[in-house]
Amino acid sequence: MAHDDPPDAPELGDDDPAVPDGGWSDAWPGDEDVFLGEEASVPPGDYGSIPSTMPGHDIDDVELRELERRIESHRTPVYPLDARRSMPMQFVWRRWRQLAMMGRSDVVDDFGRDPRATARWEPLLELLYTRWFRVETSGLEHVPGRGAALLVANHAGSLPYDSAMIVHAIRRDHPSRRDVRPLIEDAIFHLPWLGPLVNRIGGVRASPDNAERLLERGELVAVFPEGVKGMGKLFRDRYRLQRFGRGGFVKLALRSGAPLVPVAVVGAEEAQPMLGKITWFARSVGIPYVPITPLFPWLGPAGLLPLPSKWTLRFGEPIDLAKQYGPEAADDRLLVNRLADQVRAQIQQMVDDIRTQRRSAFR
Amino acid sequence: MSQDRPSVNASERRDRPARRSRPAEGRVAAITGACTFLGTELCRRLEEDRRYAKILVLDVRQPPLPADPDSKLIFYSVDLTQPTVDDELATLLDREGVDTVVHGAFLSHPTHAQEWAHELEDVGTMHVLNACAEVRPPRLVMVSTTMIYGAHPQNPNFLTEAAELRGHRDSRFVNDKVRAEKQALRFARDNPATAVATLRFAPMLGPTVSNMFTRLLSRQFLPVMMGHDPLLQFVHEQDAAWALKLAVDSDAEGPFNIVGKGVLPYSTVLAMMGRVPLPMPYLAARQLLKALWATQIVQSPPSLLDYLLYLCVADGARARRELGFAPRLSIKRTIHDFLGLAPEDDATDVTRATG
Repeated sequence: MAHDDPPDAPELGDDDPAVPDGGWSDAWPGDEDVFLGEEASVPPGDYGSIPSTMPGHDIDDVELRELERRIESHRTPVYPLDARRSMPMQFVWRRWRQLAMMGRSDVVDDFGRDPRATARWEPLLELLYTRWFRVETSGLEHVPGRGAALLVANHAGSLPYDSAMIVHAIRRDHPSRRDVRPLIEDAIFHLPWLGPLVNRIGGVRASPDNAERLLERGELVAVFPEGVKGMGKLFRDRYRLQRFGRGGFVKLALRSGAPLVPVAVVGAEEAQPMLGKITWFARSVGIPYVPITPLFPWLGPAGLLPLPSKWTLRFGEPIDLAKQYGPEAADDRLLVNRLADQVRAQIQQMVDDIRTQRRSAFR
Repeated sequence: MSQDRPSVNASERRDRPARRSRPAEGRVAAITGACTFLGTELCRRLEEDRRYAKILVLDVRQPPLPADPDSKLIFYSVDLTQPTVDDELATLLDREGVDTVVHGAFLSHPTHAQEWAHELEDVGTMHVLNACAEVRPPRLVMVSTTMIYGAHPQNPNFLTEAAELRGHRDSRFVNDKVRAEKQALRFARDNPATAVATLRFAPMLGPTVSNMFTRLLSRQFLPVMMGHDPLLQFVHEQDAAWALKLAVDSDAEGPFNIVGKGVLPYSTVLAMMGRVPLPMPYLAARQLLKALWATQIVQSPPSLLDYLLYLCVADGARARRELGFAPRLSIKRTIHDFLGLAPEDDATDVTRATG
């Protein structure tokens, strides 16, 4: 067969003057001045003239493969989609997406409220509102039908059932069915599972920036100035309103010009009566305290269910602080603190009134 | 750049008036990091713009642009990790009469070569700013990211440009960028002759861009921190490139957040993409990722898990007000583009897409 070959075709493994085989030190001319710390003088990208002696890879193949590599590297590898296109499993992935998107919508508002998730939890809130707590709401006409307003309420219970009931009352019974954005303290907002859920159904992390932005957008914002102090008070201190933070809500109302609507919530203290609290252990897991109620922690997570106390919500006359004092009063610290305490006293009065009128905590 | 070119006398350079305004025609721009996505896009856009006469493309290798004999692009090989590159850069900028400097030589992925990354991002920024202090170009634009605000439990829902740059307590990838940004702020204070803008881009997503987020979201199984579901924000790659071009053209100063339209929870992003979430407790995931990172099996340092735990969303109002940049594509459309779904495939309901 050898005589069929062209006479001057190089054979594989034949000696090639370009590639030394063995004894490389005397094959490279002047190898003593190689690698003296100089940069390679080959311009970047210009490797076309280096001959390849590998079998079956002539210069066109190299260029083609380089081109392919470049095209591939400038494209985001959407691996699952590519794999799915080649696999007859499209219906599986389609079903998976449908499953994954169940109960959530693909558009949320700027603060993370998901309309479909909200609608999904609505029946549960309705059940709590009408059957479990049998909430009696009065004074809804004091809540403005449009524009920004700040609802200021007292706070009780380990889980924020009171903010859920305020939100649901206004969405259900107010003539313009407004959505309230409750400000949630960090202790709840960063709790695993509960925090994201609260965020999806409308809660916003309590911070002055967030509150200001919401009021600028003309939203109805619910604040609980007692904060963790209000949630963490013991059953023997029930309905004794704690210090109203540092008066941040008064500054907000003064700066934004939004009216304050005082809200009294009665019944929340009995829904989760806190007999005691453990603080030494809780700090290490990132919560302010572990509550001890008649049901918790004895019944495990089921102990977080509220007792069926009878609730009353009362919305008071709106207070327009900005009209009385002007926005520059927000920098007067003494005035801010005095106004905060006035609002606190007013809500305390409303709470006391409701408590003298009601017959029992559970009926 | 060749070494033998004589350096221009330093005092000669400093005798210029306080603030030159850029000419309407015949501007000369220099782009560091031209091989990054934003650098390449900016080269393309500047080449089409008749106001720019010459564009210096500075990087260690040629960006993947078509070679055109009468192109305005001139490539110079500049390695910002070299210790005396600032002098070479100053000479080059001065010789070419550059009036617009765009500094975009930043990494889009974390790397195990952390010392090199530090040299490139932090020290490289110092070199570029040294050269700019010498040459005093009227305009300097720097590329940055919203990750420098840091994912922190105390973050408000929308971080403005005035927010503190918290970075991350043990992420060199983020902290190098924070230090570069702080250098730029100090430079802007000390050099009133130059109008400095830093653009803090939200994570970029799109069909062609490649960064740590596209790499993460290209996986079929993704880690989810158990019980946590922060809101995420993206900017479409074309919106980002457009914003950079607007910033290069304008003279607005200071930091700007460049963000897309809308936010979505991480779990919804995964569901829209058809990815499978792998819920894991944060502490365990952190230890696991630490081990994988130390053994160089994965390319993501454990500190980046915090961005799946807490919120880091920026507010783009200032860019809209002062740059005139309003994102054109929503986050949903951005995700569709990333997946390669045409809008007419399934404009309203991604769950029915067959891609």
